[in-house]
Amino acid sequence: MKPARFDYERPRELGAALALLAGDNVTTKVLAGGQSLGPLLNLRLVQPDIVVDITAIPEMIRVEEEADHLVLGACITHADIEDGRVPDVTNGAMRDVAAGIAYRAVRNRGTIGGSLTSADPSADWVSALAALGAEVILRGATGTRTLPVEDYVVGALETSLGTGELLETVRIPRLSKAARWAYVKKCRKTGEFAHAIGAVLVDPERNVWRAVIGATESRPIVAADARELFGGRGDAAALNTFDARIADRILINAGMSDALDRQIHVVALRRAVAQAAETALQ
Amino acid sequence: MSEISLVVNGKAVSGAVEPRTNLADFIRDTLNLTGTHLGCEHGVCGACTVLIDGVPARSCISYALSCGGAEVTTIEGLDEDEITRELRAAFTREHALQCGYCTPGMLVSARDLVVRLPNADEQQIRVAMSGNLCRCTGYVGIIRAVQMTIAERRARGIPPVQGGGRTALGPVGSGHAHAIERVATFHRERDTNSAAAPAGAQIGAPSLDPNWQPQASFEQNFVVHHPLAKVWEFFGQIEEVATCLPGASIKEASPQRATGQIRVKLGPIAAEFGGIAEIERDERTHSGRIQGAGSDARTSSSTRGDLRYTLVSLDAASTRVDVTIGYRLTGMLAQFGRAGLVQDLAARLTSAFAQNLEARLSGRTQSTQPQELSFGGLIGPMIVERARRLWASLLSWRK
Repeated sequence: MKPARFDYERPRELGAALALLAGDNVTTKVLAGGQSLGPLLNLRLVQPDIVVDITAIPEMIRVEEEADHLVLGACITHADIEDGRVPDVTNGAMRDVAAGIAYRAVRNRGTIGGSLTSADPSADWVSALAALGAEVILRGATGTRTLPVEDYVVGALETSLGTGELLETVRIPRLSKAARWAYVKKCRKTGEFAHAIGAVLVDPERNVWRAVIGATESRPIVAADARELFGGRGDAAALNTFDARIADRILINAGMSDALDRQIHVVALRRAVAQAAETALQ
Repeated sequence: MSEISLVVNGKAVSGAVEPRTNLADFIRDTLNLTGTHLGCEHGVCGACTVLIDGVPARSCISYALSCGGAEVTTIEGLDEDEITRELRAAFTREHALQCGYCTPGMLVSARDLVVRLPNADEQQIRVAMSGNLCRCTGYVGIIRAVQMTIAERRARGIPPVQGGGRTALGPVGSGHAHAIERVATFHRERDTNSAAAPAGAQIGAPSLDPNWQPQASFEQNFVVHHPLAKVWEFFGQIEEVATCLPGASIKEASPQRATGQIRVKLGPIAAEFGGIAEIERDERTHSGRIQGAGSDARTSSSTRGDLRYTLVSLDAASTRVDVTIGYRLTGMLAQFGRAGLVQDLAARLTSAFAQNLEARLSGRTQSTQPQELSFGGLIGPMIVERARRLWASLLSWRK
């Protein structure tokens, strides 16, 4: 259970990190908190030539709060979010999600960017940030590009990160005060990867109706206009008219053939909708 | 080797470490502080939990080099710590340990709760302590000890500390030290067990144990727009079939038997399974069976698989291929313990295979380059797909 040998670099500048990642004759892996990469290295499932530690790059813990969004550097940890060391624009939604990730000892090192980039379908940020409508900003040698979180994750453990690209920041939209949100995950053991995730965000002031079914073994299923799940209703009472059959059909169309699997995922979403209906955010 | 300096239990220490040395091994082997225990070594069991910059973290998945300049406190450094002293007394009172292996990690995690939790809520404590596994006690005594310590301290008017007092951003332990550039003479030196064993070596003489049972199986099907006879004939040519499987290559093949390799990639995980396959075909029912076994030296993983296919004529110009795959996966890949990931891979591979098959039968060049993604083809590694279910059934770790 020891990693195969690798070389280690810890650049202080973003440009130096990008240069390392652009090298095409060696395999590189980016290390942030290492809470996903560490197990893969220890199990020797991943055997890079060079590990590039990006935690010494000041931009990586950047925090910028704007009128309509929050920008978090990739190396902001789950505990930073849980404890409120960074501002919150989601009426506490992100704090709650962060507090439910793995265990405290993991949250103290695990990062938001690392979690997204590991792209485990069952990871909390993959589904939660997709439901919140967040975007990632990727930096490469020639500049940056911005992608919605649901397009960043393209499959199990696969992202759309190109060679020589790095996830630099995550951009989270500010929710209205009246926004309704809930995030439900099904785990058999506390802190393990979820077997099913349901998340819903209803923010009529911003005309946002999003729902996510996650932990599907692939990219999360995102309903960017979730009103179809509520019989087409777009008013405050919509959350009370959730139609499980439509959620089930969405899963069938997404290729989830196992009825039990679908049931677990539909129930996760149904519970999320019920919670969102009951609980106005603080 | 690189030089590293950090502060352990209040004392400045330094030493030479390999980049791959985790903090726990540095603490134990170099500093001889063996109170920090290693259990699972992938972040699940909590035995290795230490304080880094004052808050708990896993020392088995934190590399020593990435913690340069950090302040580390191990169980030995908590001898005189007031909270830990109270916890030790409570652990003793409540019989909160038996063999003691998990106890250093338990105390470090419990101390963090005593600092942070506003009150001694049992549910909250149970959830928060769930990242530390104990195989002896059943947890009742441990939870009581933590509850009692929190309750006593709050009763004495000691308030909780938000975030354990941490103010800095980013991963704990990181961000203290200078930049590190690797030595210019980089030279890949694979460990001998990775480099020396040729792919397929571990299975030795091709032995397909007839009593073997798959750990999981799944079914898939796809349609090719060619008549059954043509598809059937094509399926009889194992080398041709292999060219449709991204990542697969055949070394030797006869109608009954083939050896070869397949390269499979799942995100950052790459494995190359080498192995053998035995092939059966039944002309009468247009069905076939391929049994395979293979191994990947790099990840020390082995697979065993059983693929059955049946061709069904839909009309004069199209054929449905029904495939049932059973597999078993052992070794590191299996330990990875994540369920279901392989299904996504399988779906992508099957679709690439179907596309390539269609193209080949139409005499076109392949629409998908045979790269690494792979459907464990008609060779043992079919099994890969199966892996996903397997992974799921074992330990699950968390990012």
